[in-house]
Amino acid sequence: MLVIDNLWKNFNGVPALQGVSFAVEKGQIYGLLGHNGAGKSTTLGIILGMVAAQSGDVSIDGISITKDRSRALSKVGAIFEAPSFYDYLSGWQNLKILMSYSGPFDEKLAREVVERVDLTKRIDSKVRTYSHGMRQRLALAQALLPEPEILLLDEPTDGLDPEGIKWFRDFILGLRAERGMTVLFNSHLLGEVEQMCDRIAILQGGKRVFEGPIKGLVEEQQGYEISAELNSDLTKIVDQVLASVGGNWDGASRIFMPHDVDPVTILRSLVQAGVPLRSFARKDRSLEDLYMEIKQQHTTIPRSA
Amino acid sequence: MMFLAQLQGELRKLFSRPRTYIGYVAFLAMEILILVVYKLDRTQAYTRTQLQNNGLDFDIYYSSLSITFTIMLLSMFVLGSVFFALVAGDIVAKENEDGNLRLIFARPISRLRLLVVKYASVCIYTVSFVFFVGISGYLMAVAAVGWEGGLFVMEPKMKVFAAYSEWSDGAGRLALSALGIGFSMITISSIAFMFSCFKMKPAAATIITLSILFVDMIVQNFPFFKPYEEWFVTWRMSAWVFLMEPHLPWAKVLESFAFLGGLNATVFVLGWLAFQSRDFKT
Repeated sequence: MLVIDNLWKNFNGVPALQGVSFAVEKGQIYGLLGHNGAGKSTTLGIILGMVAAQSGDVSIDGISITKDRSRALSKVGAIFEAPSFYDYLSGWQNLKILMSYSGPFDEKLAREVVERVDLTKRIDSKVRTYSHGMRQRLALAQALLPEPEILLLDEPTDGLDPEGIKWFRDFILGLRAERGMTVLFNSHLLGEVEQMCDRIAILQGGKRVFEGPIKGLVEEQQGYEISAELNSDLTKIVDQVLASVGGNWDGASRIFMPHDVDPVTILRSLVQAGVPLRSFARKDRSLEDLYMEIKQQHTTIPRSA
Repeated sequence: MMFLAQLQGELRKLFSRPRTYIGYVAFLAMEILILVVYKLDRTQAYTRTQLQNNGLDFDIYYSSLSITFTIMLLSMFVLGSVFFALVAGDIVAKENEDGNLRLIFARPISRLRLLVVKYASVCIYTVSFVFFVGISGYLMAVAAVGWEGGLFVMEPKMKVFAAYSEWSDGAGRLALSALGIGFSMITISSIAFMFSCFKMKPAAATIITLSILFVDMIVQNFPFFKPYEEWFVTWRMSAWVFLMEPHLPWAKVLESFAFLGGLNATVFVLGWLAFQSRDFKT
């Protein structure tokens, strides 16, 4: 549905994207992760034609964005962090204006979408009177008009309260369930990405350093958290014990091992080897763990624009 | 149809912003001031002398049409240019600064079409503003001196002198000149529009436009440049006053309007090229 093919981009000689590629299947919720300046927004900008790539291409449902941007974007809706509307106009007027750039205004559809995002009562109020959450819901409404097949979400939950974040998450998951909506979700809120996305790509320094499904990654090993005072000798012992069963650890407190390994065996081995354990508790690998591991593996890559 | 809907949206944005109306308020205040000055005994005595020296009857030519012409002649370039540059300088740059453009760029509209819509709205604003000044100035002048009377025109710099004793002749010429002023003022809006498409703040687009026009006007008045005055933009922008001549010099008028039209098209293309090649990134 959405294919990002070998994107390269420099800003004033500083590499922002270096051969980034990934593909989002129809009905998939795809997370794009990375630190600030990793290249997430640049990627999104290229998808929307706001930023011109030095080389590479983006195609949406087989239509190249560089060759036929208008046709390619006819299937896309987008939301940005802190969306900027015309504050001096009402929410409804904003929707009418933004929809006019896509096609004829469908009032019935617009009313339905407004009701769906729960803005019916305030849609005729000036946007300057809206809370951040209401603006985000208006952003969602404009992105859903007129009926896109792909949603591009750029940090959509930033600044929302927990209730707002949950509402947003449920809404997007509902859209996928009902309409098979394809979503590219750009965020650094790892918890949100973990709960919503099927697959992720991690960008660092403009390079794609990881791409894969979340489910398998997070669950491919069982994780435990240990608490102990460790010197260099004891650290080596932990290394050896885990290596003997095909496991690994972060060098401090998080250990991971294959599912077929009995944790009691590991616990016994550590205690017998003299590791002064204070606690040993199950804590499965989260996306955050995975992200930090990958980040550590690529720390030599300089951060860029 | 789509274009009209987009233009309607653009005009709604333009005319819903409070700052768009600063110019309207400023011009109403200035029209009142000019009328007050016109009602002063000294001014009336001066006007009477001027008219009598030219063999014209004060009672016919001290009229609402003559006052309206004076309002438009005095105010449009000096004060009008500020507001045209302000509005046109904002039209793209302010939306970029505020982040509105991002939402538009997520839509399947080309940058060229977006600029055409915005430029059309700026042109409509410019012409409608000129007519607003003309109509409001005339209505105020009617309230001050009555509706009857002819039209007296004297513009020494462009060497235009005309007198229309019949109200209908004078009103017709005044309406024609308003169209000419509107077309001329589009050049200010076009230059500001071009800068608005560049990577700069809205205020910078406005200031640079005004600087260019004022420098053009000042340099044009240097004696050295007198033989070349027709090459200056501000001289061409003053050519609308030829529309007041009793025998319309169409060749002279069209030559200047073609010059301005060509300039407008050129700056639009330059603005579009700059806009087209820009990256818009948060």
